[in-house]
Amino acid sequence: MRTLPLMLALSLAAPMAAQDMAAKPAEKKAAAKPAPKKMDATVGQALDGTYQWVVGQFMGAADAMPEDKFGFAPTNGEFKGVKTYAQQVKHVAAINYFLGSIILGEKPPVEIGNPEMGPDNLKTKAEILKFMKDSFAYSTKAIRSLTAANATKEVKNPFMDGMLTLAGIANLLSFHGMDHYGQMVVYLRMNGIIPPASRPRPAGH
Amino acid sequence: MTRPLALAFLSAAAAFAQAPAKPAEPAAKPAPPAPTFATSLDHSLAGVESEVVPAVEALGEEKFGFAPTAGEFKGVKTFAQQAKHIAAVNIMLAAAILEEKPAMDPGSGENGPDSVKTKAEVVKYLKDSYAYLHKAFGTLSERNVLGLVKSPWGDGKTSRLSLATIGVSHGFDHYGQIAVYLRMNGIVPPASRR
Repeated sequence: MRTLPLMLALSLAAPMAAQDMAAKPAEKKAAAKPAPKKMDATVGQALDGTYQWVVGQFMGAADAMPEDKFGFAPTNGEFKGVKTYAQQVKHVAAINYFLGSIILGEKPPVEIGNPEMGPDNLKTKAEILKFMKDSFAYSTKAIRSLTAANATKEVKNPFMDGMLTLAGIANLLSFHGMDHYGQMVVYLRMNGIIPPASRPRPAGH
Repeated sequence: MTRPLALAFLSAAAAFAQAPAKPAEPAAKPAPPAPTFATSLDHSLAGVESEVVPAVEALGEEKFGFAPTAGEFKGVKTFAQQAKHIAAVNIMLAAAILEEKPAMDPGSGENGPDSVKTKAEVVKYLKDSYAYLHKAFGTLSERNVLGLVKSPWGDGKTSRLSLATIGVSHGFDHYGQIAVYLRMNGIVPPASRR
């Protein structure tokens, strides 16, 4: 993975700009605008700032594996039953839809199959990448919908007993993607490919 | 001791200690407190910690210097460096959220202090970093969560909420790598044994 300071400087730049822009009008109208309104405008943006770091790295890694290696899974070690590269991507995409739909309070807009594996009918790299990109667009929309008013609203935990807040679901979207991204970068390197986010940048960039 | 058995012992001890002279009126169960940004984000962090720490503990000390070699692995972090890196970032995020000088040494590079060497030292460093980050998360509220603080990287500012979500997600990036390193060494990650 690219060194964290540079990655984070890049990923934080956008939300910071958005927050700065949001803050200026609020300062001008400080007397007229109560503080919670200001939070309403930026909770989704702040969460999305981190999330786009996840989206960018994950999509770059998924695209970096050649189609003929999409069925790759390691075998040298204790790897019985682990997901193939394609299954990692389809699983994250299906979970993106599944969790995004919970935040938005609706049914997933597409068929996601068993969220553990995603739809069986998606086979080619192009099909899987399209499903992935569309899923990230949907989960991004869901995260951006969060406000100070609804971020701490509780819903039933979809994976175990208990409740989760919508902000907790947003975090789950982020860290679940990164869990599988972390596995995918090792799979890429096993196949002689440096993950795009870890490649040296050309001078001047 | 198995968990249910341990809980039974604890409950019995508590009941004995609190036994009243007369049977107590059944007290109404207090409603759980409403979730806040602090409890919500801390719950996510606890989930990450509950997978990362046992995974780090699962590898034998003699393998802590392991990094894959078959493939394009030049310059990647060893197993120990993955754990120390998570900890170092936790420390920098906690200090930034709290707007204070780091209470623990994050080291001068990406991978924590060179003085943290043995498995016991690495695990303690990691656990302590999570305790520090939990402390920082505990200070988050509706009033300050979107407040801008100095970014630990670069000269810019960012919100406490952004830093908190990085604290949750960054650990899982490296957890994914740690999980594969474990499997390469014949070990199923503890969280995958459930």
